[in-house]
Amino acid sequence: MTQSPQQVTPSAVTPPAPRPSADDAAPPALSTRFEWSRLWLPLATTVAFLFAWHYAVILLSKDRDLFPTPWKVVRAIIELAEKGVLINYIVSSLFRVTAGFALAVIVGVPFGLLLGWFGTLSRMFNPLIQVLRPISPIAWIPVAILWFGVDDRAPVFLIFLASVFPIAVTAMAAVQNIQPVYVRAARNFGLSRSQLFRRVILPATMPQILTGIRIALGIAWLVVVAAEMVAVDPRSGGLGYLIIDARNAGKRYDLVVAGMVMIGLIGLALDALVRQVEKFDEVRWGYANK
Amino acid sequence: MSLKRTAIVWGIVWVGGITALHGALNQQWFKPAPKSAGASADGARAGAAFSGPKFSVGYIPVTCHLTCPVTNFINKATDSDEMFKPMRFNGFPEIKEMFLSNRLEATFILAPLAMSLREQGVPIKIVYLGHRDGTALVVNKDSTVRRVEDLRGKKVAIPNRYSNQRIMLHRALKKRGMTLDDVILLEMSPPDMPISLQTGAVDAITSGEPFMAQTELDGYGRVLYQAKDEWPGFISCVLAVREDVIQTRRADVQALVDGIARSGKWIDQSMDNRMHAADVSATQYYNQDPKLLRHVLSKPVDRVRYSNLVVHRPDFEEIERLGIESGVLTGKAKFDDYADPSFVRDNNDVKPWDYEPKKQ
Repeated sequence: MTQSPQQVTPSAVTPPAPRPSADDAAPPALSTRFEWSRLWLPLATTVAFLFAWHYAVILLSKDRDLFPTPWKVVRAIIELAEKGVLINYIVSSLFRVTAGFALAVIVGVPFGLLLGWFGTLSRMFNPLIQVLRPISPIAWIPVAILWFGVDDRAPVFLIFLASVFPIAVTAMAAVQNIQPVYVRAARNFGLSRSQLFRRVILPATMPQILTGIRIALGIAWLVVVAAEMVAVDPRSGGLGYLIIDARNAGKRYDLVVAGMVMIGLIGLALDALVRQVEKFDEVRWGYANK
Repeated sequence: MSLKRTAIVWGIVWVGGITALHGALNQQWFKPAPKSAGASADGARAGAAFSGPKFSVGYIPVTCHLTCPVTNFINKATDSDEMFKPMRFNGFPEIKEMFLSNRLEATFILAPLAMSLREQGVPIKIVYLGHRDGTALVVNKDSTVRRVEDLRGKKVAIPNRYSNQRIMLHRALKKRGMTLDDVILLEMSPPDMPISLQTGAVDAITSGEPFMAQTELDGYGRVLYQAKDEWPGFISCVLAVREDVIQTRRADVQALVDGIARSGKWIDQSMDNRMHAADVSATQYYNQDPKLLRHVLSKPVDRVRYSNLVVHRPDFEEIERLGIESGVLTGKAKFDDYADPSFVRDNNDVKPWDYEPKKQ
């Protein structure tokens, strides 16, 4: 066998769609206008939303003390930062998501790949997965407290549960959906099992797996906040905890909304971070084919 | 860089960085362990009386549980240590789950909930009371509800089906020839009650303080009845301990109960003490406005009391009877099953802490 296994990677079987490079990009003027619209369109919508929010509170709210204006929320965020709890809470929440999500990736991806490759395993485990998958992690909160108490393990467990199923199911589906021509070609070239896995299966499934991971990260962030509202020790806090704690503090709905805003902004940043993965060739080819 | 390399490098940087930050900011990993203050010759210093690992004691930020933070801050001030770890929760279901999984040795808990847990076979013993009175039923100041009878067909928020507030409402309605079926009961977390009353989501709310007083302070609540008037000597929450802990560490449970009892007497000793308790608990434990706790503890001063907290059989037998009537208890567990009054038999034996709050 003289062929290199490199030649049977999916990108070799299905040539990637041409990507725009610096040379063949649109003319500079057009490009600049495009960049501007990317900036001002969302900015304009946000400003309009903030104005609508502000005036809705001023004009429609019977008791202006209750629902805060955007400016009150900004002041609440500043107050939290000055008290020195904002960073602690953000770090707490991010740590829990990182731990639970990393565990879910470590367990979910290999498990899903195995299920996708071995039909027997899939037939054994799929019904169980499909039963467990639709159960909201919030329903697991009482169980999590019973098993783990209110330290970091409870939210980490809930995030793991929330993310592991979407990751495993996507990985399984990705393997099952591989075009048979890749595998047949690889076998014709005499690839060993491990070569087949590393050179064909993994690259072929990577775009779909990463899509699953991105969706799961969104779910994980949703869950950490819900879990912290019930099952964390106040000493380590968290953004979800901040919301429930603000409810204890009487009419501090500015703190409640400040917590919500921080959750939204960090969720946006996390998603933007994960989207960077799409820039890699190993992932782009999957999108280009669509 | 390839995807694999980027994922590995950034993965390690992110996981390592966020773990180190979490450890440094929230877990005190890098701080040296505090030096123990050592045993004190002064018997009043409760921390010294404790032999085994510290108990975790559950509480929620209501004045019914005020002796928990007060004991803790007095311990820390006099002993530079704490005899137990206070653990704050936001609701009773979580406290119950922590207790059931043996993660709390002791907790402040609703009296009927503790009794019901005992009925269900949970080895829990009520050893002391949290407070007396300290509850009200509040309606909106513009409400047409002027008497308890006017509650017919109205939505009333209660903190929990196993709360004594529900039993008190049952008692109040029964006295006026009505039943709980005549009102619409909603279970609601106490922090959510004031806004629900203000926005008209419910017609009346009843829970422990300070959430009732908050509606008065903010000018939209009107008290329909105070516990002290409707059911004098009302008990909402109690200090409960796991039975196995009582058996294996009786001396430590005694120290805990003594500490809590002394705090109660200390709070009731003077208005200065009450205001100090309000300020420290609000800012360091409850995350509430000190003004609110000051109001609850002073206007009127007997709105909530922390003396006379010995566990008396007749009080609990009345709760038991009313609990069975209102359908939350079965009567399977009797006073001797769910209570152990042996730690403090007589209120006169309790001496307040010898602790002077520093003048601000």
